[in-house]
Amino acid sequence: MAVEEIHAEMVSSVWKVLVTPGSPVAAGDTLVILESMKMEIPVLTEQAGTVAELHVVEGEVLQEGDLIATVQS
Amino acid sequence: MTTLSPAPTLPAPDPRDPEDRLARFFDPGSLRPLAARDTSGVLAARGTVEGSPAIAFCTDATVMGGAMGLDGCRHIVDAIDTALRERVPVVGIWHSGGARLAEGVTALHAVGEVFAAMVRASGRIPQISVVLGPAAGGAAYGPALTDLVIMGPAGRVFVTGPDVVRSVTGEDVNQETLGGPDTHGRRSGVVHVVTDTEPAALATARRAVDLLAAQGTFAGVADEPDEDLGALLPEQRQRAYDVKPLIGAVLDEPGLELHPRWAPNVVTVLGRLAGRTVGVIANNPLRLGGCLDSASAEKAARFVRMCDAFGVPLVVLVDVPGYLPGVGQEWDGVVRRGAKLLHAFAEAVVPRVTLVTRKSYGGAYIAMNSRSLGATAVFAWPGAEVAVMGAKAAVGILHRKKLAAVPQAERDALHAELAAEHERIAGGVDRAIEIGVVDEVVEPAQTRRRLIGALADARPGRGAHGNIPL
Repeated sequence: MAVEEIHAEMVSSVWKVLVTPGSPVAAGDTLVILESMKMEIPVLTEQAGTVAELHVVEGEVLQEGDLIATVQS
Repeated sequence: MTTLSPAPTLPAPDPRDPEDRLARFFDPGSLRPLAARDTSGVLAARGTVEGSPAIAFCTDATVMGGAMGLDGCRHIVDAIDTALRERVPVVGIWHSGGARLAEGVTALHAVGEVFAAMVRASGRIPQISVVLGPAAGGAAYGPALTDLVIMGPAGRVFVTGPDVVRSVTGEDVNQETLGGPDTHGRRSGVVHVVTDTEPAALATARRAVDLLAAQGTFAGVADEPDEDLGALLPEQRQRAYDVKPLIGAVLDEPGLELHPRWAPNVVTVLGRLAGRTVGVIANNPLRLGGCLDSASAEKAARFVRMCDAFGVPLVVLVDVPGYLPGVGQEWDGVVRRGAKLLHAFAEAVVPRVTLVTRKSYGGAYIAMNSRSLGATAVFAWPGAEVAVMGAKAAVGILHRKKLAAVPQAERDALHAELAAEHERIAGGVDRAIEIGVVDEVVEPAQTRRRLIGALADARPGRGAHGNIPL
């Protein structure tokens, strides 16, 4: 049972949220799409499992390092 | 009638035995020790890797934990100088607690002579380190001075161990957190490649030796099939994507990625293109939007200088929105560290071809092997943008008053119209070709053919400089 914490790599806004807590995910699945530097940047999970926590909502502005979600495998 | 007696039980071989480790590194049966085995704590040998001659040394972790003294260091210096004389790669396999305390300053002096030998050989022969156990103190800087550092699961690299750290700073940390694979593969950038097993670490070192020592020549492009590499990018131009599948499609087969988890917004890969070793540098839009920042500029700069030192041609895949803005970046020295990339490209004499796949903006445009820095050729895919910034952002600044003067309802339409006009005159690839900073638009399906052609036609070169670990 490993928990992967997924953090924002840069200042950005949350454009789309594609999962909810409890969603099953495969490695490489997109959890949310951020908007920054005029680009849509998908945020992926590195491990397969279930979305345990989701800490962001669409439109929210994130700072570098903010926790976006955790994935439990 | 004879009965089979049970085989005599031999003592299990010590997995840390240096001769055994060297034998597992070289081609089977090719190992020839440079000097007889002794109690110095180091064994050095010559052998072959995929048929190419190479030299390797291994610290003897079965003697005093592999600690380095005068005699052992002399074996290492001899191995490096022999490799330099014979112009073959030298590989160091490390498992050592550092300098031998009992020898005092004599051991420190000897370790320093190892460092000096590594710097003598820097940029002239490939030097590769494989860290299989602790490499502490002096043994930490040995690998750090070489071109590539590969770490197995038990590898630990630190200057001062957990006990000293605890007594001085009060930080409670174990060896792995202080200097294990995750720390150096992801946080510090000390290690280029982390592997799951010791055999995989040795196999990776063999691969690196093969790529750098047996570079090969470009095969002709006549049989090169057309493959639409454009399909590997998303249709929406604003959407970020992982550049690694594109790199995989450009190369003959998957390459050896260096620093995959450190500064992942730039990807650096050694691989083969039409049979010849090349280095690929690519922005990765999936990470930090593909922005350059201080760490990625430094990572790319070191890679460019290593390839240049060993005559490895470069392929530069560009899709970059600019430098990452922020206080953190400026305080982190993005100006000083970004300057390294400008220096590395401008200095490089190997053939180096740039392909702009989607966009190349601002200062990052210059840094990514632009024509101004001496690119051999600059290609662009159709529709690529080369500009100071995106057209929409540019007209927002250039025509701020004009935009503010029209009613809100009409503003978006005017903005789009002005952006299209601006792109035509300042940002489109046609303009870039007109002023000579892009040579040609290349159809995605022709990418490999054109990259191979441009690199093969260029005059080969090899930079006359060392490879300081930037």
